[in-house]
Amino acid sequence: MKIIMDGKEVAAEYGQTIIEVARKNGIYIPTLCHVPGLEPAAMCRICTVELTEHRRTRLVTSCNYPLRQDAEIQTDTPRLRGGRKLIIELLATRCPDRQVLKELGERYGADLHRFPADDKDCIMCGLCARVCERVGANVLTLSGRGVEITVSTFMGRVATHCIGCGACAIICPVNAIRIEDHDGYRSVILKGKEASRIPLRSCTSCGRPFGPVIDLAPVLERAGEPGVPAFHTSVCPSCSRRNHAKRILERHFEPYDTAIQAFVDEGRRF
Amino acid sequence: MTSISPAPDLSWTRKLSRPEDLAAYRNQLIAEQHPDATRILVCCGTGCKALGALHLLAAMKQAVADANLDVKVAPLVKRTGCHSFCSRGPMLAIQPQDIFYQKLKPSDAAEIVQETIIGGKLIPRFLYKPPGAKQPIEKRSEIPFFAAQTRVVLERVGQIDPFDIRDAIAWGAYSGLAKVLTEMQPKEVIEEMKISKLRGRGGAGFPAGLKWESCARQPGRHYVICNGDEGDPGAFMDASLMEGDPHAVLEGMAIAAYAIGSDRGFLYVRMEYPLAVQTLSNAIRQAEDLGLLGQNILGTGFNFKVSVSTGAGAFVCGESSALMSSLEGKVGRPRPKYIRSTEKGFRDSPSNLNNVETYANVPKIILNGGAWYASMGTERSSGTKVFSLTGNVNNVGLIEVPMGTSLRHIVYDIGGGIPNRKELKAVQTGGPSGGCIPIPKKFLDINVGFGKLAEIGSIMGSGGMIVMDENTCMVEVSRYFIHFLVEESCGQCTPCREGLTQMEDILTRITRGEGRDGDIELLEEIGNFTNSFSLCGLGTSAANPVLSTIRYFREEYEEHIRDRKCKAGVCKALYHLEILPDVCTGCGVCKKRCPAKAVTGEKKEPHLIHQELCIKCMECYRNCKFDAIAIR
Amino acid sequence: MSESVTCCEQPEIDFVVLDRIIQEEYGGRREAMIMMMQAIQRQYRYLPEEALIYLSLSIGVPLTKIYEVATFYASFSLIPKGKHILHVCTGTACHLRGSGGMVQHVAQKLGIEPGQTTPDMKITLETVNCLGACAMAPIVVLDETYHPQSTVGLINELIDPILAE
Repeated sequence: MKIIMDGKEVAAEYGQTIIEVARKNGIYIPTLCHVPGLEPAAMCRICTVELTEHRRTRLVTSCNYPLRQDAEIQTDTPRLRGGRKLIIELLATRCPDRQVLKELGERYGADLHRFPADDKDCIMCGLCARVCERVGANVLTLSGRGVEITVSTFMGRVATHCIGCGACAIICPVNAIRIEDHDGYRSVILKGKEASRIPLRSCTSCGRPFGPVIDLAPVLERAGEPGVPAFHTSVCPSCSRRNHAKRILERHFEPYDTAIQAFVDEGRRF
Repeated sequence: MTSISPAPDLSWTRKLSRPEDLAAYRNQLIAEQHPDATRILVCCGTGCKALGALHLLAAMKQAVADANLDVKVAPLVKRTGCHSFCSRGPMLAIQPQDIFYQKLKPSDAAEIVQETIIGGKLIPRFLYKPPGAKQPIEKRSEIPFFAAQTRVVLERVGQIDPFDIRDAIAWGAYSGLAKVLTEMQPKEVIEEMKISKLRGRGGAGFPAGLKWESCARQPGRHYVICNGDEGDPGAFMDASLMEGDPHAVLEGMAIAAYAIGSDRGFLYVRMEYPLAVQTLSNAIRQAEDLGLLGQNILGTGFNFKVSVSTGAGAFVCGESSALMSSLEGKVGRPRPKYIRSTEKGFRDSPSNLNNVETYANVPKIILNGGAWYASMGTERSSGTKVFSLTGNVNNVGLIEVPMGTSLRHIVYDIGGGIPNRKELKAVQTGGPSGGCIPIPKKFLDINVGFGKLAEIGSIMGSGGMIVMDENTCMVEVSRYFIHFLVEESCGQCTPCREGLTQMEDILTRITRGEGRDGDIELLEEIGNFTNSFSLCGLGTSAANPVLSTIRYFREEYEEHIRDRKCKAGVCKALYHLEILPDVCTGCGVCKKRCPAKAVTGEKKEPHLIHQELCIKCMECYRNCKFDAIAIR
Repeated sequence: MSESVTCCEQPEIDFVVLDRIIQEEYGGRREAMIMMMQAIQRQYRYLPEEALIYLSLSIGVPLTKIYEVATFYASFSLIPKGKHILHVCTGTACHLRGSGGMVQHVAQKLGIEPGQTTPDMKITLETVNCLGACAMAPIVVLDETYHPQSTVGLINELIDPILAE
């Protein structure tokens, strides 16, 4: 399989996507809705490239196009730059003044105020919903269709089965999701509105709230490792460290490294 | 929904357990029908049903019973599928006398039985009279609308009772299936399909034989899927086929299943077609009872189970990968996959998806040979195509013509021209993914086929053909289609969701008289962009209505933007109505019709429209017999 | 749909009926979920939240996935529909013959938008993209009875008696 990208031959494995090959070879392709590890959704379309196979050239999205035969790829032609510029300008109507769009806009010469803005605080990349399905507890989903499509919880209600993992907040490219801990609760704030709320556990030692009270069963089920025991601890990380230190001191009669090893083993048992 | 007359009970019939049994059963059914029996075929398609055809059917049955006919053979009143001449409903045909009665009421039933069936006389007022003609046409087969068509796939539609499989079998249903099961290898079936050059009738026009071949080559369990999600507004070909001749579709699917090595099929029907769902479900049950579908078909060991699934109201589900998602019980968003569904489709298995009309063509091809089929139509587009002819045309209805027929033949010879002395302006094909073909300036003699339509910026689509007269505003038409697509877009990809929304905003502005310089160029820029960067077929064709109208009717856009005028009289902010004083006869019709009391004037004197009162409902314009009202 | 939905009164959910739909009619198959939801909607004229939760537990599909489906397809409603449903066809043929104006008229007359229900729960106004009866354009369907070649006057004749009830 011979793959030529932007004029030079690059190394690629059968079935790899174009973007994987590009990244490995240091070639930049912009993307707004793709994160390695999540099934590509090809929603933002900004990663579109020109692909020539069997002398036929067409536009494909690089995040999900698997290379299975000889191909030539152009990642930065005037046509692509024009399309990317429009994508950024159109997305800017939903989310004016977001850093990620400003940076891309500069790169592709986009006028972020070309179209009238209708701030929806979201560029509809769908990453939060996909990551919630993959690692979270299916709290967030896409709902509606067409221009009405949005990210929402079931019936738009505050969800209580969230595990508070925060993956959605980390993954959102326009920072529209926040995690807030307050008054013994953890809330996921989606576009300024509370989307889920779960109680936080209080440390049995110092009394301060730390991680959320969650039912790990669905997560473990998805992880496919039924043998892994539920991780439960009743003390917060800092108390845990303090206790460990205290107990190491208590074992001062043992050689130092044996004592540490004992606690490492104990830790593994959690 | 009016209740359906119960389908005949077939539980008494024996299963046909050998291929020969089908031919024998067919001969028996034909022998049971008296050759001289008068058959009264009442159209009960969706259109006529809406006009009360079921009441007409009941009245006809009652009238025949009441007449107490003292004849050897009692006339048979039959409920049939669409007779296709929809603008003339409710209607019936009387065979073998070759009579066509139209625009009937249930109260006409007794008269028809007394005069025509018993008396043998025609009733002139029920006969069809072409617009402008003095004399009605006496014979059904001489009416241009019927005579100018070539009915292959629609042959049985309107002739058979779609709820009775015996009628279909008497007309030859399932003999194509029996033929492939006894005489042909799967490879030979595919070969025959390739010879026929049948191209998919759903819109893209992919050769069916090639699709079957590439699907058959894949390992694993195969599925046969029929796309009955006819979502294009203004298209009802597939509806009429499913409602009028469900067995043709089922037989075609079974033959495809045999060819690609499948034992399971699904029919995905849009929920807006409740009658089609009923007809198909009933047809499947009857075919299974007779051993023509299901386990061990005709005793040959071939199994094929079909079930009907309904959509839930989403145009995008006509896209193949979205349809398969929906069949799996999921959201109907097109899948972002660069793998053909013949390789990995429904349940990630090789799946062959064709539309209703494609499958309905298959039995004919098997029985008459691929070469026969390829002899019809053109080199690149073989066979016939069903179109639903609607809009501003005299004869609205379903028509079937060989591929390559000229638009002139379709609009004038079959369609009977444009009503109300109006000018033909354009023909829209391909639904929201298609384009507007300008006529008569250009293209009136263009031959309708896959390649030709694509060349001029439209597409064949599934066969919707909407005729537009001079009172159609092309800017408004493209706004309508874009609005439709904005609502029906699945919303997952940026170009389609955001690009179309911007286009709708711009078009709405233009139709309101708020257009700006540069709007046309902006529409072209966004349109070319959505057509190349979108994810699925809906997005990549969505801008066609806009791009094709800009291509051919650019001056109309410019008039809207620069002169703030809508000459067609559609965009309310951009025109007003005036009475031409030298033409007006003062007949007073406009004054009487005006709901806003905006027309004044004395009898026999020129009238006047008071602009401040006029709501531009066009009632006066439409009803003026003297063309004295002008759009300004 | 991002706003939380508040319903006026929740109907009594009969779980025997739900079980008949989910288990007997469709064998609890996840693939039949859309048709199950249609059957539930036929039963209650909308999709009651409680029924959806029961469906989720019965067939093991996450509630959010059911919500995604319910909001994607135009025929599903998460809020109760009126006693009568008036569909106005806005297919191309109907549009060319003025169905847009009819929708506007009814919307104005009832004081609601298409897709909404009058506050007294008598009439729901909906548009549909094509009923395949284009020769009869424009078409209006009141409670599944087709009314061909409709006009504003005819619609008034249809809905006035309902409003007077």
